[in-house]
Amino acid sequence: MLIQPIQPGFVGLVTDVDICQPLTARQVAQIEGGMDSFAVLAFPNQPVTDEQQVAFSANFGELEIPLAAQMMAPEKRRFQKLELGDISNFDGKNTDKLRDRDDSRRMYALANRLWHSDASFRAVGAGYTLLHSRVNPTKGGNTEFADMRAAYDALDSKTKALVDDMIVGHSIVYSREQIGFEVKGDGNPDNLKPVKHRLVVTHPVTGRKSLYLSSHIGEIEGWLIPEARAFLRDLTEHATQPQFVYSHKWEVNDMVMWDNRTVMHRATRFDDLNERRDLRRTSLKGVGLGIDSVPVRQAAE
Amino acid sequence: MIHVRPLHPLFVGEVSGVDTTRDLSVADIAEIGAAIAQYAVLVFRDQRIDDEQQLAFSRCFGELEYTGGTGISKPGEQRLHPAFADVSNLDVGGNLLARDNRRRLYSLGNMLWHSDSSFKAVPANYSILSGRVVVDKGGETEFADMRAAYDSFEADTKAEIENLVCEHSLIYSRETLGFGDLTEAEKATMRPVRQALVRTHPVSGRKSVYLASHIGRIEGWPVPEARAFVRDLTEIATQPEFVYRHVWQPFDLVMWDNRCTMHRARRYDSGTIRDMRRTTVAGDAPTAMA
Repeated sequence: MLIQPIQPGFVGLVTDVDICQPLTARQVAQIEGGMDSFAVLAFPNQPVTDEQQVAFSANFGELEIPLAAQMMAPEKRRFQKLELGDISNFDGKNTDKLRDRDDSRRMYALANRLWHSDASFRAVGAGYTLLHSRVNPTKGGNTEFADMRAAYDALDSKTKALVDDMIVGHSIVYSREQIGFEVKGDGNPDNLKPVKHRLVVTHPVTGRKSLYLSSHIGEIEGWLIPEARAFLRDLTEHATQPQFVYSHKWEVNDMVMWDNRTVMHRATRFDDLNERRDLRRTSLKGVGLGIDSVPVRQAAE
Repeated sequence: MIHVRPLHPLFVGEVSGVDTTRDLSVADIAEIGAAIAQYAVLVFRDQRIDDEQQLAFSRCFGELEYTGGTGISKPGEQRLHPAFADVSNLDVGGNLLARDNRRRLYSLGNMLWHSDSSFKAVPANYSILSGRVVVDKGGETEFADMRAAYDSFEADTKAEIENLVCEHSLIYSRETLGFGDLTEAEKATMRPVRQALVRTHPVSGRKSVYLASHIGRIEGWPVPEARAFVRDLTEIATQPEFVYRHVWQPFDLVMWDNRCTMHRARRYDSGTIRDMRRTTVAGDAPTAMA
């Protein structure tokens, strides 16, 4: 297995490995090591099946069930395997038909064009996410990644001091609100209730600090809402400057894997009413995130 | 004869050779008019102007807007003449606004990129902002050139936006920061208005993209799709190469053309006094066809 930098210190290209096959413990460790030093890894030319993607992902932790799948009525779901996220613009199982312009699944998914960290609205956010490309549009539909370790490092010391102990509230409602879409939920209010996370997290392996930012954030503990939102916008603008960003142009059978604890991402626009785009997502529960990661000193307060 | 020194590769000129506190000659007015058509933002340094003088200077360029009826300040709470927008953090008695003061929270919306009065049926031409008490740290005003932004768009984006009409309202920009503390009467004064997304400047003939955080809808588009698209356009339009950051010195007078620029205020310590006074020259006609 060979890991070469695409963007030094942030994105690595992994070749000379077949991830359709079961991995050896050594290979798993090598990939994990690559994830720790880069945060995003791209594996080109990997024609994995859904089952192989789930098996490959399970090497790195416990798979999570995406909220979108969980909240969707079974007959609306494209995949019955709940661990498999449907990142397509298809009308559910009918893959010949694209979603209508005002389809609520389309509206919900449009918020993926905002910078976010997967499942940060959950008590335990996602660790790694793996995205596998099956069909791509002729133009657009890239996935962009921003390095939240570099973004943290680049803050001035005054801002670091301000954010270091900050606690923020994340909810799926907040990100959808930003584009004027009201999330109705599935009747389980726990899915929509804001969860608290530290804004600055320390990676459990590398010990590097990063900004745990996400468009799902809507509040800062102890701050007035408009002040908090204005501040978070500024911080996000800082953290997503071109020098921290890598834009991935998808080729069929690319597998890209990233660490949500240190990376934000977003999708870019494409002509989704006329062109097909199909990606399959798996993600893993994050270790070192969630309220557990609040230092004892604060949790006790 | 005025002299203009460029402050940015694309726009913004520093003007010398004119005293804005005195009556301007017809020639001065014409020269400033020509300069702002070219530069879009003009900076006049060390202008120790008072309110009366600022009104007189502003009226050289057209009718003034009266800010009453669009903001949230009630008549008795206003510190300045009604033709002024009070861009300070002071109350009627000259005291600092408390952190949780409603007017202060409302004014945080100025930290979002916008064009003044785009939420009015006939939006503003020029804004003229006088820095009476400026802060040492932060509180800059950033300007973005919407002509250069438009020019940078790909041909298919230009074609896509050419005839789009957006709905602008103060309600939308405030919503963006989670400020929804508005009375029904206030909301009634903030009903969305229609604006063309692409404008052509009557003097320079240049096209520009008429963006603002006040946009909440694009006519004929689902709301989430419109918002995501407007965010993308705004991101392109406010890239560093299109932006000039004005660091305020006391008594700077900055004049800009809202038809072809956006601007925003940057964060500063709310415990320090910042007293900026804005006059606004009204526009001539609606931007979108009925």
